[in-house]
Amino acid sequence: MHAHIQQRIQEIINNLDRLPSIPDVASKVLTMVNDPDVAFKAIADEISKDQAITTNILKLCNSAYFSKGKEISSIDRAIVTLGIKEVKDIVVVAATREVLNKIIVGYDLARGELWKHGIAVAVLSKRIAVLKNKKSIADIAFTGGIIHDVGKTVLALFVQNTFKEILELVQTRQIQFAAAEKEIMGFDHQEIGENILNKWKFPEVLRSIVRHHHQPDKAPAEFLPIVSIVHIANTLCLMAGVGIGADGLYHELSDTAIKTLGLTNRELEQLYGDMPQVLNQASGIL
Amino acid sequence: MNTLINVGVSQMGASSSPTVLRTILGSCVGICIYDRMKKVGGMAHILLPNNPGDGNPEKYADSAIPLLIARLVRDGANKEFLSAKLAGGASMFKFNASVTLGQIGERNVEESKKILEKSNIPVLEHDTGGNTGRVIDFFLEDGRMKVKAGGQEKLYYKV
Repeated sequence: MHAHIQQRIQEIINNLDRLPSIPDVASKVLTMVNDPDVAFKAIADEISKDQAITTNILKLCNSAYFSKGKEISSIDRAIVTLGIKEVKDIVVVAATREVLNKIIVGYDLARGELWKHGIAVAVLSKRIAVLKNKKSIADIAFTGGIIHDVGKTVLALFVQNTFKEILELVQTRQIQFAAAEKEIMGFDHQEIGENILNKWKFPEVLRSIVRHHHQPDKAPAEFLPIVSIVHIANTLCLMAGVGIGADGLYHELSDTAIKTLGLTNRELEQLYGDMPQVLNQASGIL
Repeated sequence: MNTLINVGVSQMGASSSPTVLRTILGSCVGICIYDRMKKVGGMAHILLPNNPGDGNPEKYADSAIPLLIARLVRDGANKEFLSAKLAGGASMFKFNASVTLGQIGERNVEESKKILEKSNIPVLEHDTGGNTGRVIDFFLEDGRMKVKAGGQEKLYYKV
């Protein structure tokens, strides 16, 4: 392991200013949505305080993916028409776009590819949740899908310098790319992602998705189904080449995830075969 | 400047020199077919091997390849001068052997080769399998294929 790299990453984690930021409204809305005592009006008011993000949110509300046909011109109307869970997802899309929609050097992702990948994983995660009768967590799966790889935005620079070593370790020791990241740099992109979500004050379930998306069996039992959903969606998107970077398919397709969701071979192939449709839907959000 | 056409998942692109066709592949296979005399060529990006008859012929190797050949012939290619290159068909690094999804990359490559053989189109080069993602550029000025995988570039020139 490179102690100096580990130390540099530790410094970034310790100094919150050096981790990416998103508008405060995202964490506020995530917390308020989970509080049964908070009125929808209060949430709408909170969102409307941020004029820039409100404009983006309204645009997304009227996009092909989210729109229910009726023109939406205020956050109040959005909550009534689309539902609070949907509006919460839209807030996260609008809030995280800037952080995720950029070139990710070390992973060889051109501008926009990580963003497109996150949105595709989000859309597919939601589909899997609905398919496997877990509609009640479909919105959280969607949010988790968007941000699951956020750690790559910080780790990329270090991966760029150690890529050859990481790949060599993957091949000689037959370990996953993320495990090799950790061996070489002391951290993997999932841990960095969890730290970023801590800074953003995102809830535990989302931190768990980010932290365990390559090894769902390590997730706390209560979050195993949702982490499994995002794991499968991520796998299928990478197999279809969506957001596939220098780490390629050097990942594991988790048997635990497949069994947890009760996915058959036929369902898995069907979901993979649905990728063109998923991408088409995702393009309505980009 | 050469025109660049991005070919998406389960899409097809065809053009002539000096256009460049590009796609990004995981377990999917990119089939590049070229007429070295007319300098016209095309690329199919297939997701799965066999078409169950769902009305999306571009998505499957067994229906996309005949479609691409017909398109090239319509664009003036001579079937006798056509040759093919293949890329993609990677698999997940680790998966339980009973999960058929893990074998899709391999099945995509096999089916693509089979259909090309049936169509009497020689496969001159292939860069397939393994666990890497691939970005491929197919240059219609001379039919070369550039494969970028795991930070490295390889060029395939045979036409």
